[in-house]
Amino acid sequence: MTRILQSDNLDKCVARWREAGLTVIGPVKNESSSSYAAVEKAAEFDFSLIMPDRSIKELFFPQTEPMLQYTIKKQRIDTSDFTPPPEKRIIFGARPCDASGLAIDDPLFGWDYKDNFWFQRRDTTVIVTIACTKADDFCMCTSLKLVPDSTKGSDVLLRPLQNNKGWQVEELTDRGRDAFNEIADLLQDGSEPAAPTAVVAEKFNLDTCVAWLQKPENFESTFWREISMRCIGCASCTFLCPTCHCFDFQDEGDTYSGIRRKNWDSCSFALFTMHTSGHNPRATQSARWRQRIMHKFNYFPGKFNVNSCSGCGRCSRQCPVDMGITETLQAISTLQP
Amino acid sequence: MTETSQSVQQNIYKPAIMKIVARHDEAPGVKTMRVEFQNPTDLELFKQRYRTGMFGLYGVYGEGESTFCVASPETRNEYIEFTFRQSGRVTSALANADIGDVITFRGPYGNRFPIEQFYGKNLIFVSGGIALPPTRSVIWSCLDQREKFGKITIVYGARTVADLVYKHELEEWGKRDDIDLVLTVDPGGETPDWKHRIGFVPTVLEQAAPSPENCIAVICGPPIMIKFTLISLKKLGFDESNVYTTLENRMKCGVGKCGRCNVGSIYVCKEGPVFTAAEVSRMPQADL
Repeated sequence: MTRILQSDNLDKCVARWREAGLTVIGPVKNESSSSYAAVEKAAEFDFSLIMPDRSIKELFFPQTEPMLQYTIKKQRIDTSDFTPPPEKRIIFGARPCDASGLAIDDPLFGWDYKDNFWFQRRDTTVIVTIACTKADDFCMCTSLKLVPDSTKGSDVLLRPLQNNKGWQVEELTDRGRDAFNEIADLLQDGSEPAAPTAVVAEKFNLDTCVAWLQKPENFESTFWREISMRCIGCASCTFLCPTCHCFDFQDEGDTYSGIRRKNWDSCSFALFTMHTSGHNPRATQSARWRQRIMHKFNYFPGKFNVNSCSGCGRCSRQCPVDMGITETLQAISTLQP
Repeated sequence: MTETSQSVQQNIYKPAIMKIVARHDEAPGVKTMRVEFQNPTDLELFKQRYRTGMFGLYGVYGEGESTFCVASPETRNEYIEFTFRQSGRVTSALANADIGDVITFRGPYGNRFPIEQFYGKNLIFVSGGIALPPTRSVIWSCLDQREKFGKITIVYGARTVADLVYKHELEEWGKRDDIDLVLTVDPGGETPDWKHRIGFVPTVLEQAAPSPENCIAVICGPPIMIKFTLISLKKLGFDESNVYTTLENRMKCGVGKCGRCNVGSIYVCKEGPVFTAAEVSRMPQADL
């Protein structure tokens, strides 16, 4: 016997959570794309998506976000803090790869100096993940040693029922249990079997790729020029990536007052590393693509013991020139180690 | 805990407010500012943390922040001095700020020169152009406790006589008999009354021929100068692990999150900016 949440009851759950003061967020499709967005009714959710076009990252690390506000008077500056809205949120229907992505970035935002813009949102958000029962050709979580029903980064894991009428409920954390206590009376005990999880074919052998990346002489390999020739440096892959975390600061305002913002930035851009002198350590697109791959699969795991990739495949799925991490690592796995 | 340190904890990107108490024109387009903390708690935190070699992000609201080293030594930590060339938006705004004006500062960040490991040793400082500031911070740290070190040699060069920074201090160092000061300008950069060397820094260094015996070298300069100075030091018999330098990569956050200062797996803002030449040679050279 497991606890079951019936689809028919979801609208009541949404209402109950909203009454309890939670902002309810989930996969939503709109005219041009799809994302995790706030809903008022369960009917707004679209669980048929393999995953939303935009990753879950923007709910914790928004595309643009005010950091502080300043006012300048003659020889006097006042700074006041912006803090993320203290709203409590529940994300219903996160994909396991998206939830994993958050857990991957936690150590980065927390090492030594703690970025509370990230952690305040992490601490007030319940993540209810739905295990994947279907995948597309771009999904690659299994190649990253994750699974379509991974619990990493999730507070609750739901497994879709075979009859497609609800989900098996697996509470993973106290935060998840608290949120589901609110709707305890809307759950039932049942023995309805869960639908089989998606079969995600392994696209490359990660260990082979990492071994190649770790060899110092391969840093200068001509492979990098060849594989990145198509890259137009648009940065879509980094913006859509659930784990890419690079940012920039920009001040908006006039001489007397304004706001300092933290904006998404990307290692794909030439200006990202350009020195004032004009010297640019990563002057070519191939050097920038190499940095992205090396950072995700060599440097980041060296620092934080985890790959900076959860296998969602958005970088390949939405690349305008049909390249991405999958294509690159597949190519690497065919090279001489 | 006071209000300030709490807010520092809450928002790691919030800078301290500094007042400009002195400014000095060093060279065409190059200025030095001395700034003081406006909040005593910020000053206390700075004094606790600051060690020679660390850097900060200096800012003007509405324009942004720029990364420079702290050019004043840890032995003089009541204030911060920094030297910069006016070349972009932030540095132009800083250059236009006057005594009494306020700017912002975040830091100190990064690692330090292990000065106590230099005790009892001879020191040679080699720098070029506007790279004297990080070296100067080490030089004063050592001069302020002169008795702890052996022979001190300073080799400093710039393109032209006008481009030499800290001219007043060069004069002071030149007069001291416990420092060997070797000044040089690039060929063509001399003036009729120039009494010092003419030639590139690495060449002049080889002529000065400091002994590598019990000696630490600290070198700062543009990448091309570093490259040839390292070759010269090698010729002179210096071991890479006794040669220190600082990397000055572009930074935004300064605290290991924004992703742009990385060289290979190294976060320059956290593991640097101070490295030995041995450490630098282990980095992927194409990304430097």
